[in-house]
Amino acid sequence: MTSAALRLGAASDGLPAEGRAPGMMTNIVTIAGRELRESVRARWFVLYTVAFAVLGLAISMVSAAATGGSGLASFGRTTAGLINLVLLVVPLMALTAGAGAIASDRERGMLQYLLAQPVSRLEVLLGKYFGLAGALLACICLGLGTCAAVLALKGMGTKPSGVLWLAGLSFLLALSMLSLGILISTLARRASVAVGTSVFAWLTLVFVTDLGLMAGAIALRLRIEQLFALSLANPLQVFKMWSLHAADASLDVLGPAGLYATEEFGNRLHWIFGVCMMAWIVVPLAIGAVVMSRRSPV
Amino acid sequence: MIRMEHVTKRFGPNAAVDDVCIDIARGDSVALWGSNGAGKTTLIRCALGLFAFGGKILVGGHDVLRDGKRARSLIGYVPQELGLYDDLRLSEAVRFFSRLKGLRTPELDAVLGGVGLTGHEHKRIRELSGGMKQRLALAIAMLGDPPVLILDEVTASLDACGRQEFVALLERLSGSGRTMLFASHRLEEVVALATRVVVLASGSVQRSQETGAFAASFGAGTIVHLMIPPAARERAMTGLRAEGFAPTLNGVGVLVPVHAERKAAPFRILAEAGVPVEDFELLRDDRAGLMPSQEKESGR
Amino acid sequence: MKHACTPILIAVCASLCGAVTTPTKHDVPAPPRNVGVFAERGEIGRRIAAAKEGATIEIGPGVYREHIRIDKRVTLIGRPGAVIDGAGSGDIVEIAAAGVTLRGFTVRNTGIDLEQENAAIRVLAADAVIEDNVLDDVLFGIDLRSAPGGVVRGNRIGGKDLDIARRGDGLRLWRSDGALIEHNTLHDGRDAILWYSSGITVRGNRSDNCRYGLHLMFSDDVVIENNALEGNSVGLYLMYSSGVEITGNKFVRNRGPSGYGIGLKEADRFSVRDNLFTGNRVGVYLDGSPFTTKQPGVFTKNILAFNDIGVMFLPSARGNEFFENNFIDNIDQVSVAGRGSLDGNRFWRGERGNFWSDYTGYDRDRDGVGDFVHESRTLFESMTDRNPQMRLFLFSPAQQAIEFIGRALPAVRPEAKFEDEVPLMTPVDIAFSSESSSANGIALGATSVGLLGLGAGVLLGARKEGIS
Repeated sequence: MTSAALRLGAASDGLPAEGRAPGMMTNIVTIAGRELRESVRARWFVLYTVAFAVLGLAISMVSAAATGGSGLASFGRTTAGLINLVLLVVPLMALTAGAGAIASDRERGMLQYLLAQPVSRLEVLLGKYFGLAGALLACICLGLGTCAAVLALKGMGTKPSGVLWLAGLSFLLALSMLSLGILISTLARRASVAVGTSVFAWLTLVFVTDLGLMAGAIALRLRIEQLFALSLANPLQVFKMWSLHAADASLDVLGPAGLYATEEFGNRLHWIFGVCMMAWIVVPLAIGAVVMSRRSPV
Repeated sequence: MIRMEHVTKRFGPNAAVDDVCIDIARGDSVALWGSNGAGKTTLIRCALGLFAFGGKILVGGHDVLRDGKRARSLIGYVPQELGLYDDLRLSEAVRFFSRLKGLRTPELDAVLGGVGLTGHEHKRIRELSGGMKQRLALAIAMLGDPPVLILDEVTASLDACGRQEFVALLERLSGSGRTMLFASHRLEEVVALATRVVVLASGSVQRSQETGAFAASFGAGTIVHLMIPPAARERAMTGLRAEGFAPTLNGVGVLVPVHAERKAAPFRILAEAGVPVEDFELLRDDRAGLMPSQEKESGR
Repeated sequence: MKHACTPILIAVCASLCGAVTTPTKHDVPAPPRNVGVFAERGEIGRRIAAAKEGATIEIGPGVYREHIRIDKRVTLIGRPGAVIDGAGSGDIVEIAAAGVTLRGFTVRNTGIDLEQENAAIRVLAADAVIEDNVLDDVLFGIDLRSAPGGVVRGNRIGGKDLDIARRGDGLRLWRSDGALIEHNTLHDGRDAILWYSSGITVRGNRSDNCRYGLHLMFSDDVVIENNALEGNSVGLYLMYSSGVEITGNKFVRNRGPSGYGIGLKEADRFSVRDNLFTGNRVGVYLDGSPFTTKQPGVFTKNILAFNDIGVMFLPSARGNEFFENNFIDNIDQVSVAGRGSLDGNRFWRGERGNFWSDYTGYDRDRDGVGDFVHESRTLFESMTDRNPQMRLFLFSPAQQAIEFIGRALPAVRPEAKFEDEVPLMTPVDIAFSSESSSANGIALGATSVGLLGLGAGVLLGARKEGIS
């Protein structure tokens, strides 16, 4: 009995306990590592990664077959197909991952247990954010890496820089959607509500806003500069236009509005898209942090 | 060590904790006593800085709201039920929380051995029984040897056997100069661990007294005096304690304070434990006391 | 970027408008001439003055700051390092006698006067041979005026670093029939342009970063073969020209605001064969061509790949035949401006149609021809044909949604834009040196390995602690 107690006492490393809370960065890294490890073991991660890679593979194979191995390099259906795929899969993955992050922990009591440790709420939020971001990065790299491998093997002339841009921008898109998901997660009462809301947000961003904008543009006879400005409000559109701009240094493929953007802003488009994307990353996360600091974790 | 000043916490119109002032000196062990909804858990969450509240709580001189991280670094906390990633291995869990507490990588054998979980470090949390989970939570709480231990009805979800083991474990930990605050509604835990009992009802402090006096007052109403052969008396004591009674020995047998409605319960327990009861008598207990069951259930 | 683009747009629009309203052959004013600058002779000038008719004059290395007028039939050869520097004013070399050969010089630094059309080499007489010269920092490069039978071969012509609107033409022929233009390289100029010049062969030239890679105005019976026109505003533009054979050329990334690989405006009797069109805004642009209906415009064995629009028809374009071409992954394979129809054009000849990368049918009898008609009718494309600004939503899932609606609801299904009754199942074998070097493949492979490595690294890093 007593010996057990002594051994338990000996488990401590003998440092004085007073004021031994580790720094913010250390805690964020610890929590991020935990979250990352947990994510890559989770079913959703495996499912999304496999789906992403397989669909990307299919797109690459089909377009390689269609070009008949002519090895031509340009912006083609491959890139378009991959952009389309990213637009569908990455936001869904990031939104649902983010939505589950806080709400399900709150539901399981994990959140209050975690917050009973010497950590701050911001550390928990950012730790989870970066951990999930790491998982999303892995997923995107594996998916697009597989596609690039197929394209290289099939002798396609796709530019490596284009693939790298696509990967990088997909990651930024994932970060923005993760922010939004985390915000939803801090607001939702239950994990199921959070996930449902995030799927709704996904539908809205992917389909509803674009279709609405299309209808609006026709009905209200929007000028092309208005159309372009409005489309910047949707992070998915920003991702798409940025990818095209990076791949081709020109948005003229997007018709008059894209031509207007290229001529009006030229290479400043990188900054414009960058600022929009950063806003979509930072603002929801900041609101999430405020909500998190005010809400009971129980 | 823990100082609560006019702590008030409202959920909507109801005050779950209402103007509570408690001062716990270093080395003291204080039990929060009360029925479900009396505000025990809420008060503990306030002490951990888990939500905002009116008033002030200092742990080791640090304000839990303003300087929560510092305050919590002094606290080891065991919840009612351990909510952790199910897939986590014990070793990972210990390592994770060590890091959060700013410790060097601990010796797993020592940490897990202390709570009787030696050899389980590769198990995942979902493979553990309820009792093992609570012991893991205790091991995590004790990482870094914190001066304050806060327990929230830690045995509530355990069966009788697990409860007994766990309380025994805690008993070994108390009395080593550690300050303890714990919520319970089991008398034997209070008797075993607390130096002082704070009785909460509807979020307010009803009274605060030494454990001895509290235990004595606990059985207000009736005492069952059981005549038991000396050889079986120790067994009887253990069995009754395990079921939440606070028996005391006298020359011929055991005195068990009981609720007026539960006078037969000790007989059943002893029969199950195979303890022969030779005779009994009912005594009236005049000492004033407040039975937990007589408290009003305050809706929270 | 903005400052560069806007003037291009204006310039191209202006030139197009100008071209459209260009009066007929008869009342075109002759271009201006300038003679005065040649009065002062330098070393080369003195050697020419001293030479006899038919002599060969070799000029040693050195920088000769002079303006040269060649007024007798001589062969003037620059040894390596012979540079004629115009010191930033006027024309530099003027050939005023028939049968002159000018070879091996570097000619640089003309004036920048667009009114005077300052040129590096101006030819005013027949049968000149301009060969293996390097023209650098010149407003106009080689300008043949009423100089029939000339040969312009192996020259490298670089324009001035000016806004496109202030540049001159790298190569211009004016009423100079029977010229041979081959193996020249033009870069950073305005246009290479043929005016009223017939019987010309243009072969094996390259043009990068110019406005018009090659522009024909009222020039008949021209052979254009094996040229590479890349990164210009427009690759090749034919206006009011007849009898043009376009064979074996590459039209790559011509992406100006018009951005055609080939544009044909009221051209007649033309055939387009064995060409590669890739990465252009529009591969082939047809406006009122063929002009008469005597002979169909023939397009065969061309690769049209990865253009925004493969072939764009104005409603005025009728009588073209497309067969045995490969249409590969153009965003719009075929487009009609406005609400025109393609009725007057055919996409097959005999039993041979084209290869369409978006053909969805199959070939059960294995005769190499698809069992179903290839027809293009996507709702989104018909939307963008009507509302071009809707192209902003290209590549988005919303586009897919609209096309799904188009397939699911026959009521909103657009009419087929065109039909190919005998689509080919496999691409026609057309030999072209592959665009992508193996270096690109290796780099792409390395990118793939890098991405996979990063992904796997994150996974392994995450799992490492889990195992212990």
